[in-house]
Formats: sequence, structure tokens, C-alpha cells
Amino acid sequence: MKNTMRPRRFVGLAIAAGLVVSVAACSSESGEDTSGSSGEQSLEVWTRSAAESAASYQMVFDAFTEKTGVEIDYQPVQEFDTQLQARASQKDLPDVLINDASSLGNYVAQGFVLPIDRESIEGEGDISDETWEQNVGLDGETYGIPWSRQANVTIIRKDWRENLGLEIPTNWEELASLGEAFATQDPDGNGQADTYGMVVPGSAKSGYIARWGNSYLWQAGAEILEADGDGYYTSAIDSPEAEEGMTYIRDLFCTPGVVVPGSVNLTTGETPFFGQGTAGIYLTGPYNISSFDTLLGAENVEVIPMPEGPESNTTFAEGENIYFGASSEKADLQKQLAEFLVTQEAQEIAMKVETNEAGVTSQPVVRLPVNENVDVAAVTGDDRWAIVAEDYANDSKTFPWNIDFNSFRQILADGMNAMVADCSSDIPAGLASIDEQFQAQLEAMDLVK
Amino acid sequence: MTSDTLTGTTAAGPARERSRSRAGRPPRRRRPTTWRSFIPWMFLAPGLLLGLIFKFYPMFEGFRMSTAKVQPFLGDIYVGLDNYTRVLGDERFRDALGHTIILGLTQTVGALVLGALLALLLEGQARRIWFVRTAVFLPVVTALAVVGELWRILYFPTESGFLNQVLGFLGIPPQEFLSDPSTALGYIAVVGIWTGAPYNMVIILAGLTGIDRSLYESAAIDGVSVKQRLRYIVLPALRPAISVVLTLAAIRSLRTFTEVYVLTGGGPAGSTEVWMTRVYSLGFQANDLGVASAASVLLLLATLGLTVLVRTLTTRKGKS
Repeated sequence: MKNTMRPRRFVGLAIAAGLVVSVAACSSESGEDTSGSSGEQSLEVWTRSAAESAASYQMVFDAFTEKTGVEIDYQPVQEFDTQLQARASQKDLPDVLINDASSLGNYVAQGFVLPIDRESIEGEGDISDETWEQNVGLDGETYGIPWSRQANVTIIRKDWRENLGLEIPTNWEELASLGEAFATQDPDGNGQADTYGMVVPGSAKSGYIARWGNSYLWQAGAEILEADGDGYYTSAIDSPEAEEGMTYIRDLFCTPGVVVPGSVNLTTGETPFFGQGTAGIYLTGPYNISSFDTLLGAENVEVIPMPEGPESNTTFAEGENIYFGASSEKADLQKQLAEFLVTQEAQEIAMKVETNEAGVTSQPVVRLPVNENVDVAAVTGDDRWAIVAEDYANDSKTFPWNIDFNSFRQILADGMNAMVADCSSDIPAGLASIDEQFQAQLEAMDLVK
Repeated sequence: MTSDTLTGTTAAGPARERSRSRAGRPPRRRRPTTWRSFIPWMFLAPGLLLGLIFKFYPMFEGFRMSTAKVQPFLGDIYVGLDNYTRVLGDERFRDALGHTIILGLTQTVGALVLGALLALLLEGQARRIWFVRTAVFLPVVTALAVVGELWRILYFPTESGFLNQVLGFLGIPPQEFLSDPSTALGYIAVVGIWTGAPYNMVIILAGLTGIDRSLYESAAIDGVSVKQRLRYIVLPALRPAISVVLTLAAIRSLRTFTEVYVLTGGGPAGSTEVWMTRVYSLGFQANDLGVASAASVLLLLATLGLTVLVRTLTTRKGKS
């Protein structure tokens, strides 16, 4: 008897589990329906966040709820775009999405987001015209309200540099020789050749190498795509300036030690070298400063003004926007939340580093405030952020946001990855090949006049 | 909805026929349907339902999406076979196919040879051998993503990298491993062989234990050499096992993804891009789900074709 009972119980369990799964699958839709109609006073908001940045958003949303009584159903989602596609196929998008400004063109093309009447937004004057204009779509309408901006900065191991008695690099040559010095002169003084110059996410996966390297292309005077102002684009990558920029990047890869070996296959998640103390130069987003401070001590982490290239010291800028979900029927609440988020109060809350009840230390989600009344150095109490703000304001450029740039970014990254993988690669031919693919892609996307 | 009802009838049809033919005896045939005849279906229902929701429905969705410009929110637009033309006309897909085939062949042959060697070495009744067998089998039960991470560390391309240190002892200069476009694919194949061989070993071991011991004894009396014993006793007896191994390898090798994605992400210079990494980057990074679905359908057809081919080849050999 004993023996027969067990399998039966398992069968019972399996059936029960199956039923629970199917019931849950059925009820999920009705569940969303109720949340959709559960009173006017709640908003579903999605952000692409891990626990640390979610803690930062939560502080802002709590302040909003306290002020207005409007509940925020906050969903930090890590696989943002995949999950968003799933919700889109149910024709039920979140009311508000806060995500990359570079997704603007993609979201508009897919019909995910609503246009915004800039004039109707209270406090729109606190945001500069330049910042607003970044959010104009191909059709001339404004989509998304600016929320945060940032520029990549060059971060250096200050103690290493000082150990070797070297100055802050101000141009390309000095940057490259600092990298070489870090690799060859034992900057950490442990008597072993275990340090390298630059950290580079050089993989083509998700376009990493393009996001890292395009700053150098721009600094050489190169362009990637050129807009004609009427919503059309032409490829501009096949130029002598781009060749100069690519040659510099390849030389970095091909001088032993300047770039961490094997970087050609690595993404940002696989390049912990700066924080680990194995490499000393990193061109990256300023949001990394706080984690490097924790690992290495703030006194050893130095942010330097962008070293000058042959043409400029342009750096790569990115940002986040507040988008209004197209299927939402809560236009007033969407607007109310967005208006609060761009106030000085909200922007400053989102720049704070605080530990919440669950013991999670927040990672600021507003990097450079869009509200011009906020002084980044004063709020953070950190002069290095003033350099970030200067780099952004002086000379920064973004990928085009009003088109779905992902496929171009991928083509550029694949091409750049191929050119740096082989130290005797034919750079003009590589650029010509990118150019050809750009043109085909522009045609496929109807972006050619 | 139509796909649901379709799969419902196709799944039920053959099963009903089978139960009729099995019943066989005339008095049973015309028995009226009672609630009892539903009992098996009730037991099957959870599984069928789950299968329907999580296997068949997504599969049919895949077919449908492969003929559409996928726009989840605005509604899909039917584009016929455009997506298929784009896949077949795309040079990078052709390159990826080449890499997939090379990787598949090297991994299959390598894992089969190594698996067979391991099986011959570790065959036997000795008590302590189970320990070695378990150790050898470990790569199979380790998550591929973890295996990939480990090998990436082993392959670190400087003197301080583990494998390069080992090579250094032997006086061999440091290798670039995965960073060199001309060798990266080969080193990925090594990882594939390392993980695949123990699995084959187990199947071949099972085949070896099935060989009648008396054949060995009579062969020994006849005074055959080890080579002859392998050629005339072991190999023919292993044919079914090898056929299973080959079929599984054929299926597995075409959909290689994890090890490539973790080790190189398709780089450097696209030299290790395989079919599935291309599908992944088109579908989830460039948001082109239509083309990605078309490529996946093609992969399904190729897998199906290859499996049938391997099966016919091995069974034909068996008959002859």
C-alpha cells in the first residue's frame, strides 16, 4: 500500500500544480483589468532599474504620493524592452515609462508613446530649449519629457598616476602614454606586472564598443549619421576623420597592455577591472563613480576633463525621458507626475544617495539634472560631478534619438569590433563596409530622401 | 484561436485511433461512451493544456510572426515570405550558417571520439571507477553559462591567463585564444567537446554493457587482436548507441547558443557568430522579431531534415 500511495500523491500534486499554473495564467489578464480600472488615483510606472536605482525612484514617487495623494504602482523592470513588448501585445502599456532617451525613435515607430504639448507642461521653462529639442520625433512632435542627462567621462586611478609622477592627460597622445605607463611601470608598486591601462567593453554585443568608441570618432571630427533636418539621414562614416579616429582606437588595442587583453570580447558586465584595481583608465558613464568610490576610496578615483582629440573633446551623451504610455487613459495624472518629476525638489531627491529600510543604498537616477535651477556640484557635494556637467555642457553629442538607432549601432559596433580585432586590418575598407550597410539600413527604414 | 482548435484535433485524432485499434475485440468496440472513458483524458488534460499553452501555441505564433512585420502594439502586417528572403539574402546569416556547420561538425566528431575513448577507458565493474565517472560527467550537469564563464577565465589571453601559464611551462608562447578571429571558433569547439563528450560517454557505456561477454571470450579463444575486437565486435554492437548520439548531436549543434554567447558574443569580428546568436541579436537587440522568427523556422526545418537524414543513414547501415 505504502508504495502505491506515493506515486498517487505525486500525480495529485502535479495536477494541482498544473491547475494552479493554468488558473494563474487565466487570471493574470483579469488582474490587470482591475488594476487598470481601480480608481482614477493610481498610475502604473515602469523604469529599467535594478534594486539600487529602484530605491532612488521609490523615494521620488513617495514624495509625489505624499504631495498629491496619487498612488504609484511602481514596477522596476530589468528586462525592460522584452517585458514592454509583452505588454504591448496585450495592448495594455504602463501609464508612464521612464527609460533611455535613445529609445524615443523606436517607441514612436512602434506607437508606444503619446506626443506631448510642451507648452502645457508646468515648469517647462526650467528645462533648456536644447534639452527639449532632443525629444522631437521625426514628425516634429515632442515625445517624452526630459528627466536626466549624462555624458561619458574619463575616470582615472589618481593614486597610480601620482605614484608614477605623471600629469593629468590633456590630449590623445598623453592619454595613450598614461595607459602604457600603467601597464609597464607598475603603478601599484607591488613588483608585479599585473596592471593594465584602459578598461574597454570591446564586444559588439548590444553595441558596446560603439558606445565606448564613438567619443573618439567624434573627437577626430568624424560623423556617424548626418541629419538633413527634414527627418532624413545620410551615412557619414566613410571619411578620413573616421579613419584617423579608428586608427587611434586600434593603436590603443594593439599596443600591448594599453587596453586590458581580451577586451575585444567583453561587455561592461565582464569588465570589472577598474574596480578590481587591475586597470586605471575608464571612459564610462558617471553613474559608476559611486561604486568605484566604495571599492577604491573616493580619493583614488579621479574624473578628468575629456582629453582633446585632433578636432574636439566631444563626449558621448545619453539620457532618460519620461514617456506617456499610448494606451493609458489617465492623461491628467501622467502630466501631473511628469510636472512633479522635473521640479527642483524631485530632481534633487533623485540625486541623493540614501539607504532605505530594506538596507538598499540608492543609486541616483538623475545624473545630470534637466532642471536648470539645480546645481549638481552643490547637491552632490562632489566637485567631480561639476566636471561631468562641464563635459556635458561644453561638447557632447548623442546618437540620433528620433530614429530607431539600434540597428545602426549594431552595424557600427560589428565594424569597429572587426577593425580592432586584427592589428593589420584595412581600416578604410572597414569603414566603407559600415557605410554600405548604413545606406542599406537607411533605405530599409525609409530614411533616405 | 484557430491554431488552438487545430492542435486540439490533431492531438486527439491519432490517440483515439490508437485506442480503438488496441481495443481490438468486437464486443468492446460499440460500448457506449461513459464517464469512465473520460478518465484518461482528465489525467492527460493538465499536461496537454500546459503543452498547448507553452509549446504549441508559441510554435504557431512563431510561424505566424515569420510572415509578418511584427508590431505588437500597432498590429502586425502580413508580408508573405519577405522575411525569409531577407534571411536567405543576408550575408551574415550565410556566414553564421557556415560557422554553425563547422562548429557542429567539429564538436560532434570531437565529442563522439572523446566520448568513445572515455567510455572504453572507464568501462568495467571496478568499485572505484564510479568516482572517476562522476568526475568526468560533471561538465554535463554544470550550467552551460557557468562553463562558459569558467573557460573565458581559463582562456585569458596574457601570460597570466591559466592556460597560457600551462603552455608557458611547456615553452609555448602565450596564445590569443578567443581574441584572435582566426582561432576563436576552434577554441569554442574545444569547450563544446569538453561539455559534450561525457554525455556521449554515458550513452556509449550503456551500449558497451549490452555487448554479450561471451563474444569477447570466443574472440579471445580465436586469438583476435584488440584492433580486430574493436572493429568486429564493439563497433557493430555500438551502432544503435552511436546513432542516438549522432541524432542528438545533430539537433544540438544547430541550435548552439549559450557557449558562444557567453564566450565571445559572436565576436571578434563576427568570426564566431552562429545562427542562434544572429537570431538573438536581430530579435531582441534590433527588435526585428519577424526576421528572427523566419530564421528560427528555417532552423527548425533544418533540424528536422538533419534528424531524418541521420536516422535514415544509420538505420540503413544497420540493415545492410
